[in-house]
Amino acid sequence: MRKALVAVIATAALVIGASGASAMTRTDAATPGISKSLITIGGTFPLTGPASLYAPIPKGMQIYFSWINSRKAKSDGKRGVYGRQIQWKYYDDQYTPSKTVELTNQLLLQDNVFAIVGSLGTEHNQAIRPLLNQRKVPQIFVSTGASFWGTQAKQFPWTIGWQPDYIAEGTAYGKWIVKNAPNAKIAVFMQNDDYGKDYLNGLKEGLGSKASLIVSTETYEVTDTSYASQLAKQKASGADTWVLLTTPTPTVRALATARALAWKPDTIVINSVSAVDSVMNAARNSAGAAYVNGAISSAYLKNPTNPKYAKDAWMRTYYRIMHKYAPGIDARNGFYYYGFAKGYDVVRVLYMAGKNPTRQSLIDATKRMNWANPYAIKGVRDKTSATDRFPISTIKLIRYQDGSWTEFGGLIQGR
Amino acid sequence: MRRALTVFNLVVIAVLVLACALIPQHAGELTVQRLTYVGIYFIALVGLNILVGYSGQISLGGYAFFGIGAYTTTLLTLGKPGMELYGHHPPSWLPLGNGMHAIFTIPIAALVAGLFGYAFGLPAQRLAGVSLALATFAVAVSFPQILKKFENVTGGGGGLNLNLPETPFGLDVSVPHWLYYEAWGTAAVLALVAWLLLRGRLGRSLGALRDGEIAAVSSGVNPTAYKTFAFGISAAYAGAAGALFAELVAYVNPDTFPASRSIILLASLVLGGVGSMYGALLGAFAMEYLQIWSENMPFVSKEASNQAPAVTFGVILILVMFLAPYGLAGLLRRVGRAIIHRLDTKTVALSQSRRAEA
Repeated sequence: MRKALVAVIATAALVIGASGASAMTRTDAATPGISKSLITIGGTFPLTGPASLYAPIPKGMQIYFSWINSRKAKSDGKRGVYGRQIQWKYYDDQYTPSKTVELTNQLLLQDNVFAIVGSLGTEHNQAIRPLLNQRKVPQIFVSTGASFWGTQAKQFPWTIGWQPDYIAEGTAYGKWIVKNAPNAKIAVFMQNDDYGKDYLNGLKEGLGSKASLIVSTETYEVTDTSYASQLAKQKASGADTWVLLTTPTPTVRALATARALAWKPDTIVINSVSAVDSVMNAARNSAGAAYVNGAISSAYLKNPTNPKYAKDAWMRTYYRIMHKYAPGIDARNGFYYYGFAKGYDVVRVLYMAGKNPTRQSLIDATKRMNWANPYAIKGVRDKTSATDRFPISTIKLIRYQDGSWTEFGGLIQGR
Repeated sequence: MRRALTVFNLVVIAVLVLACALIPQHAGELTVQRLTYVGIYFIALVGLNILVGYSGQISLGGYAFFGIGAYTTTLLTLGKPGMELYGHHPPSWLPLGNGMHAIFTIPIAALVAGLFGYAFGLPAQRLAGVSLALATFAVAVSFPQILKKFENVTGGGGGLNLNLPETPFGLDVSVPHWLYYEAWGTAAVLALVAWLLLRGRLGRSLGALRDGEIAAVSSGVNPTAYKTFAFGISAAYAGAAGALFAELVAYVNPDTFPASRSIILLASLVLGGVGSMYGALLGAFAMEYLQIWSENMPFVSKEASNQAPAVTFGVILILVMFLAPYGLAGLLRRVGRAIIHRLDTKTVALSQSRRAEA
């Protein structure tokens, strides 16, 4: 018995030794993901799990690509991009970074994608960034507003963000407070992670010499189920302006808690809260209209439910295409719109990458962006250069009133 | 019959080892990578099996020790300079070197996780059954929070990027192949160690404690020593697996080790078959592949419900428990036994007829 076992192990060791010696051969004659008729791109998104409210984003992108694939381009009369159909593959990483790594490898090795586009989540993109940069795979228009996609572009040249970063957004709120409420007493309630800290840094930058207006800073953990003790302290601090650097669900809970404490400060909420109407409407249901009306936030995309845009030609295009390709879904959801608007920029850079695109020509294209995305607020430009790696950094402030957000004031340059 | 079983086992092991060694030559890079995950989960499940299958203590906290191993490897491979490069300042008492290759961190990760496991095993002795399961689950739930508290060491919620894996010692092997052989080589060694441990005094004592603690104690078995040892060794296995996982994924953060993974770890072991090495192996395959399959089920569309994969996993688990209470390994064993039994009766009949001829 024991002899037999030794024999087995020895054989195994020999085989491993012999087989290990042969190196793997790679064949990359053509650009991966590019064929005569197809451009294959992919990304990862939380379709299930705690962050599944973002699941409409890749679907919105898909619908935009479906439309591009079926329409004839004005420039050359061909469908798709220079006659190539866009094949869009996205997988569910359940908002777990290790899953993001696994699935991104699947996209690279099995689906042979040309580029990773729009993958969602800060840590999730951070997890795959070294891998993609080592393999020289473009990681473009990531769906996260962390500032380091732009600030660390030298170290990771194959990665680029898309939306205004959190620091830029925080700065805009700070500037607004200084200008419009110079005697405010500010309470900051934030998520205890890099996300919250990015925002706080931005807010302080915007406040500048007035940073001392912040009289209270409290944090919460993603897993906290009650904020009562933190918010009681904030109420006691005498603050009259409340900056909520909080993600959607915690925002609803915080507003409901404020109502329970009968604390009614002026409120600022961040863009990922105001990006879909459903969040504030849920807050209105649980905290009452008085506690949410008048809240201020910011936007860079048009709001698909704002009556102001009902007659807007591009908004009508959006609804027409959405109804045609996905008749059953609720196109008013801002995350479909976000995906759709991102799809527009993806197609633009794919065209810029040329008739025979390579990964290099695509990433080079992202350094020469300069246009107005028609689905963004008028005046917002997508602009990049070899050194400016923040595609969108213009925002506009918005105010909530009875179910919808309305733009006010002028455009603010976050960077 | 016994002899036939041993020979059968040996043949199966030989085939498995050979297949394991040869697969990378004939499989694509993605398959190799997925099988690397299987190897890693196998190590963790072999360890969990010692605790659950042999000592009868249910643990829902396995993935926390896996995480401890992963973080140990992360810190050791980055070393002090690496941490500072990412803007983190670990306390000076932490013995971080200048960054070592991941393979050397595996035993250290196992040791660190093992010590944590042993320490947890001491108070856990006062608990049994459901209470113990809950206590271990508390470990799994609090682990990500604890990581966030010690931000200067763990990188907090933002996590830490490891250096991308590379082949050490100037070996002429591609990186995915190296990771594969590293994982399965470690798995082979650790499975052998577990087998040697369990076939002797330790296995007998654990089994005796599981089946009748009072009887075992009256025969001179020290329950505390054996049970805490089982906790320690199981955590050490999880730690070694975590080390390999961190090297492969090259990124760790608290969300990488959610409590739900601990449940999946235990569920996979149950699915594969508690108390058997084959069970751990089948469980490891289930852990990696079941999710992939359940996401691509032809009859349930993801459009219909985004919970479809989770539900599929649950349904399969229930079906297995219903049809094969000893897991997939138990099912295979039954089939195998039946075949051997038939072969055996034939040989017996044959030798009898020979004897009759003579």
